[in-house]
This record gives sequence, C-alpha cells and structure tokens, in this order.
Amino acid sequence: MNAIETKNLTYKYSVGTPFETTAVNDVSVCIEQGEFVGVIGHTGSGKSTLIQHLNGLLKQTSGEVLINGRNIWSKDVNIKDIRFEAGLVFQYSEYQLFEETVYKDIAFGPKNMGLSEEEIDRCVRKAAEQMGLDEELLERSPFDLSGGQKRRVALAGVIAMEPKILILDEPAAGLDPAGRDRVLEEISNYHKNSGTTILLVSHSMEDIVKYAKKVLVMNKGELFCYEDVDKVFSMAEELQKIGLDVPQITKLAQLLNKNGIDIGKDIYTVERAKERLLKIIKGNTDA
Amino acid sequence: MNIIEVKNLEFEYPITDDEGNVVGGNKVLKDISLEIPKGQFLAILGHNGSGKSTLAKHFNGILLGNSGKVFVNGIDTADDDRIYDVRQTVGMVFQNPDNQLVATIVEEDVAFAPENLGLPPEQIRERVDEALNAVDMYKYRLHSAHQLSGGQKQRIAIAGVIAMRPECIVLDEPTAMLDPKGRKSIMKTIKHLNSQFGITIVLITHYMDEAAQAERVVVMDGGRIIMDDVPQKIFSKVDKLTEVGLDVPQVTQLAYELKKEGIDISLEVLTEEDCLNELLRVADRK
Amino acid sequence: MLKDITIGQYFPGDSVVHRIDSRFKIILDILYVVMLFVADNFISLAVAGIFILMAYAVSGIKAVMMLKSLKPIMPLILFTAILNLFFVNGTGDPLVEWWIITIHEEGITTAIFMIVRIVCLIIGMSLLTYTTSPIVLTDAIERLLSPLKKIKLPVHELAMMMTIALRFIPTLIEETDKIMAAQKARGAELDTGGLMKRAKALVPILIPLFVSAFKRANELAMAMECRCYKGGDGRTKLRQLKARPADYMVFMLVLTVLGFVIVDNVVF
Repeated sequence: MNAIETKNLTYKYSVGTPFETTAVNDVSVCIEQGEFVGVIGHTGSGKSTLIQHLNGLLKQTSGEVLINGRNIWSKDVNIKDIRFEAGLVFQYSEYQLFEETVYKDIAFGPKNMGLSEEEIDRCVRKAAEQMGLDEELLERSPFDLSGGQKRRVALAGVIAMEPKILILDEPAAGLDPAGRDRVLEEISNYHKNSGTTILLVSHSMEDIVKYAKKVLVMNKGELFCYEDVDKVFSMAEELQKIGLDVPQITKLAQLLNKNGIDIGKDIYTVERAKERLLKIIKGNTDA
Repeated sequence: MNIIEVKNLEFEYPITDDEGNVVGGNKVLKDISLEIPKGQFLAILGHNGSGKSTLAKHFNGILLGNSGKVFVNGIDTADDDRIYDVRQTVGMVFQNPDNQLVATIVEEDVAFAPENLGLPPEQIRERVDEALNAVDMYKYRLHSAHQLSGGQKQRIAIAGVIAMRPECIVLDEPTAMLDPKGRKSIMKTIKHLNSQFGITIVLITHYMDEAAQAERVVVMDGGRIIMDDVPQKIFSKVDKLTEVGLDVPQVTQLAYELKKEGIDISLEVLTEEDCLNELLRVADRK
Repeated sequence: MLKDITIGQYFPGDSVVHRIDSRFKIILDILYVVMLFVADNFISLAVAGIFILMAYAVSGIKAVMMLKSLKPIMPLILFTAILNLFFVNGTGDPLVEWWIITIHEEGITTAIFMIVRIVCLIIGMSLLTYTTSPIVLTDAIERLLSPLKKIKLPVHELAMMMTIALRFIPTLIEETDKIMAAQKARGAELDTGGLMKRAKALVPILIPLFVSAFKRANELAMAMECRCYKGGDGRTKLRQLKARPADYMVFMLVLTVLGFVIVDNVVF
C-alpha cells in the first residue's frame, strides 16, 4: 500500500489578491510504505510547502492528499489523527522544546494522543533510546543540553508518537559534522528497526546519497522527478541545470569522463569512485 | 605586520552552583598563541565546543582572557580606553543574521556603526553606499531587512561592519544557517573583500569546504590549536581530522582511499581539478 | 492571522507625504486626532475624512492598505457600534423595541458617527507609519522629547528600544507561526476547549518564544557592542531632520482645516 499519495496537489498563497503565487503546482506522487526518501530542491522550490500538506498543517487549494489510503480532508477523518500518523519535524526543531525536563517534553505528543500513563512512559523511554539519549538525560532540563542533544530530544518528541510516516525538514542543519552524522545515523537506525516511511528534506546531496533509497526532486513548485538514487544522480547535468548541487565526487567523475578516463555516469559515492578507479588504474598497470 | 596577536591566552567560564557561587571553572581556551598577518584569509576549523567561537570573541575584546594577552594592531584588547579603536579595527559578524540587524530598513541598519562613531551625515552616507556596494546589495538599500533571504541578510550584516572601515573582519560561522545559495554568496563576498580591499578575514567554521578556500587553516580541538598550515597540508591528514570529528573534501578522501590500496597519489588535493590532474598523472604512468 | 497586523509597516516612496519632516508629521497627526475628537457633527467629520483621504491619494499608498490597517481592530469597531446602537437614548419614539433591546434613531446616528471616527483615527495613524520609516519616526520622537532629557528622562534609550521593537516585530511574528506549527504537529490543540484549556495550550508556544527572544536579545546586544554602540552620547544620524518651507505650508494647511473644525463646532 502507498503510505503517501498526492493527486494533482496544488497550493496557492494569497488567493484572490495581486500577490497570488503558486507554491506547489499539480504534484502527483506515490510513496510506498517503508521507503526512505530524500527530498531535494533549492529554497523556494516548494518542498517545505509540500511536506506541510502531508500531515494537514496546510490545506491544498486543489487536489488530494492520501495518507495510508485515507483522504485526509474527508469528513470521517480527524485531522489530529493524521498528525500522529505522519510525524513532522521542522527545521531547527529544538526551538519547540518547552518543558522542565526532557522526559516531559518528549511526553507532550503522546499525552496529546490521550495515551495512558504506562503507554506514555513506554513511548518516551523507547523514543529516547532510539535517538541515543541516555536515561540520566531524561530528568535534565532540555535547555541545558548541547545543540546536537537538543535536536535529538526534539526528534524523540515526534518519534514518541510512533508515527507510521516520519517527515524531517533538514534535521542536521547547523550541526557540526559529528553532530550531523550522529543525528542522521540515529534516524537511519530507527528506519531499519521500525520500518517507518521516512522523508528526509536536505540541502546536502552527500547526506541524501548516504541514507536515501529514492529521491524526490522539486523545482519551481513542480515535481521534477521521483526516482531511485542511482537514476537521479546519473542525471547530474539536469540537476545542475535547475540550480542544484551534486556531490563533489560526481563533479570529479564528470571531469574524468571529459578527460578520457571512462569512470561511468553513476558516480556519487567515494566508495564507487574508488572501485572504478582501482579497476582502471590497475588494469593499466597490468597491461 | 600582524593585525592580531594572541599570546598564551587562557579562558574559563565560571561554573556556579544553584545559589550563584563560583565553584569552579570550565576551561575552554588553553594556552593559545596565534599571529594573524595583515591581509590574510585565515580559517579556524573545529567542531562545536572546540573553543573556536570563544577564541573569536577575544579578537575584539568582547571576552577577555583569564591570563595571556590579545593585541590588535599593537593595542591590548584589555585597555578600556582604547576598546572602541579595537572594535573599529576588528569587526565581527555572527551566525544568525536576524539577530545582528538593528534597524528595519537596510541602509539605516548599515548606518548604525558610523552613527555610533559620531561621523557627520555626509560621511555616513558615503560609508553606507560604499559598504552596500562592497557586498553587492546597493540596490536593496531601501528594502525592509526582514523580507530579504538569509544570505542577503547576512551580507547586510557584513556591510554593517564594513561601514566602520575595519582592517579585519571576524566571521563566526556566518553560513551555518544559510542554504547552499546563501553560503556561496557569503563565501564570494568574503573572498572579494579580502582580494579587493585587502581586509584581513578570520573565518570561524566547521565546514571543511569553506576552510579549504582559505590561505591558512588553524584547527582547534579541546581548547587548543592542534594544526596550523596551508589547507592542502591540513586536509591531507585525513586520519587526524576524522579523529577530531571533522570532514575532509570527498576528493581528498578518494585520494586517501586509493593510497591505502597502494596507488602512488598525492593527498594534497582539495578541488576536483587537483584530483583530476593527479589521477591523469597516475593513469598515464603505465 | 498574525500576518494581518500592519502596524509598523513602511512603504518607501517619494511623495509629498513621505517627504514631510517627520517631526511635523507627528505633530500633524496629533492635531488630526484632536480634530477628530473636536468634530461633533457630520460636516466637520467629513472635512477631516476628506482631508485624510486626500493625504492617502497624494501619498500613493494603495487603498487596500487602508482597509488592511482596519482588519485587526474590526472587533473593536463593531463593539463600539453595538454599544452605541443599544445604549444611546433618544428623545423620540424608539425605532425598534423588542425584549430588552431598544434602538433609537439617535443610536443609529451615533453608531455610524463613532465608526467613521474610529476608522478615520486608525487610517490616519496608519498613514504616519506607512509613509515614515520606523527609524526616522523614532528619531523624530527622540528629537521632540529631547527637552525632557533635562528632567533625566532616558529619551535616547526609549527611542532605541522602539527602533529595536519595530525591527523585531515581524521576526517574532514569524517565529510564533513556526512554533505554533511545530506544536500542532505534536498534536497540540490551540483553538478548542474552554478558557482555561486554551490558556494552558499557550504555554508550549510562549515558553519557546521567550527563550528565543532572550537569546536574540543577548546576541543583538553583543552585535551592537561590536559595532561600537555606547549609548546616545556623541551619536550622529544618517538623516538630518530639516524643516523646509513646504513643511510649514502643509502645517499651515492642517491648522486651517483644524481651525475650521473648531470654529464649526465651538462657535456655532
């Protein structure tokens, strides 16, 4: 079954005024249950607007959004339930922290779901563990933690609602390399353990390549493509044309191909570049 | 001639108990000595908590060390009478552009520093226009700052500092909150200021690709300077950088991996072009 | 909803209204308000109304902005109108008499009169902020109040606070929207339930907002220090406020209109 389906989704700002702009234009896409999807597109491409439709924070101007097969704006669906089904973590999510203790903050979502005390306790502890937060941190104030820890507390706050779909807007923005790797590793492990469908919005192609299986590319409010990682990054030139960056290693591969070293068009990780180059160089020396 | 000289600087944040009594100290800078020559483009690289931002705040007397000295153009930053000379010589730009802009309208914000310096209105006008042109934002001078993009706001923040006509600008993670386009525009602006106006640049960052564009890179870890060299040499130490939680460019990583496989390739490659040339050399030598 | 607030918005321009010395503009606005309150009949109110509409026409500010400025205070306008409608007693027979509601003809006229007066008041004040950059406005207030420095009133500091407040209003509004969205995504219900429940629902919004505002304040203070801020002493200004003959002419014009209104109401 499709976890997420949009049909001709269109969203316009300031309808009926001279400022009317189309932020998302006629997007139809199906995302399968359990997929890890990277979402890319430069600022203003409509990707942030798009993801806010998937848990009903924004209501489309026209078209439909289906979450786990249900039209989220039909009369028999409570939009609040959709929020628990499709968890959304915003950029710089640590600004949402407000409770006295980490425990209470993570419990905010589950409490709003109306779970019992024992259920809440189970969800909080499990989410904290999944985000690599030590037991002893649970009684600390969230405001005393480091930047990377705060970010993981905020993530745990959404994961604790045990959503079937998890949408993350730039979860690693502003963190240093170690903090970034830690957050993304925890998310990746969570994906493997829970089978949750994940949408990861990121500006970093390196991160997308490392974690995502499929990539959704937005451009000027429209769906540019939704394909496997391999397919998307073999279109490096098309991506560059719409103003997106590609990993440095892909740029190197482009140069090599132009200069007579035929490394192939599907290079987007250091490992693959290394394998191909070893073959080429060793082949040369053997000959 | 050095614009900034740091001598055996130590700094600790006091640790207080619940009643506010000082019960100890958290040492964030340990015996730092550093000389920054005029006109240099220096990057200070380190992970969060390495002490790099704390060090930056010593360069214009926002923080003063517990021991050791910092001199700006020979002036001791601890000299109260000359603190405004120091601040005017070494300007500072911070991470969040929103939190540095004082006035609503772009040109009025840029005028803030010259107004503080008590310059006559004609000179303020001249400096505002000059500063906005230097960051290529002149046509936005009458815009409201909050309607601009992150990168544009950060350029206004830089212009606000340039209006003091500083000899040196210290930028504390100026691109951390920006998208790739904004990051590129800031790096372009910084390099332009350095090459066109000879302004000394100290860029504090944890992005290796930005540090790689500098003339010299200082790496900090645990409150100490652990490396100080040109970027080619710094990034060729792949193991050491990974150990302190930093990245290296993908092409450097590739060269490193190939070398491990017995390929005779130089590790001093930062850009795609560097790497291409090395690979062409290696592949040709059959 | 928060985006509707237009106070503090400024539309750069080069009209006569834009160019009037901001100190004059403030005094003129005060005179205009006096005029509205002196006006006791429809004729003088109409004079004031036509005056402000003409000022809008000259300023080049779009009419839609005039309506936008009214949007946030619609409830107040309605409330005033209803009060007047029901509680003003007239001399003649009531037009409507039903249960405890009585409406007299005077009630209707007073209600209309009050609506027109408030509308004139708001659009007049809005014109001031629409056509004057916030910093110039605070500058003018600082100059006008400067005699009060003698009695140790911190005039510069107050003006600086106002500048910063105006600068950060849009930033904080945006931030509030963001926090609200983030808490809604965690299932927070902001617009249902009784008064107590709603007040409690504000906690997850207000605490992050305060935390962030304090952080911003700290960082801003540091950035200001780095830009050599040391209080009002010895500070100069990019813009010099200089009254020109045109300013005096506009001033005289407004005085004449005011004079007419006063004469119309007091003498006759």
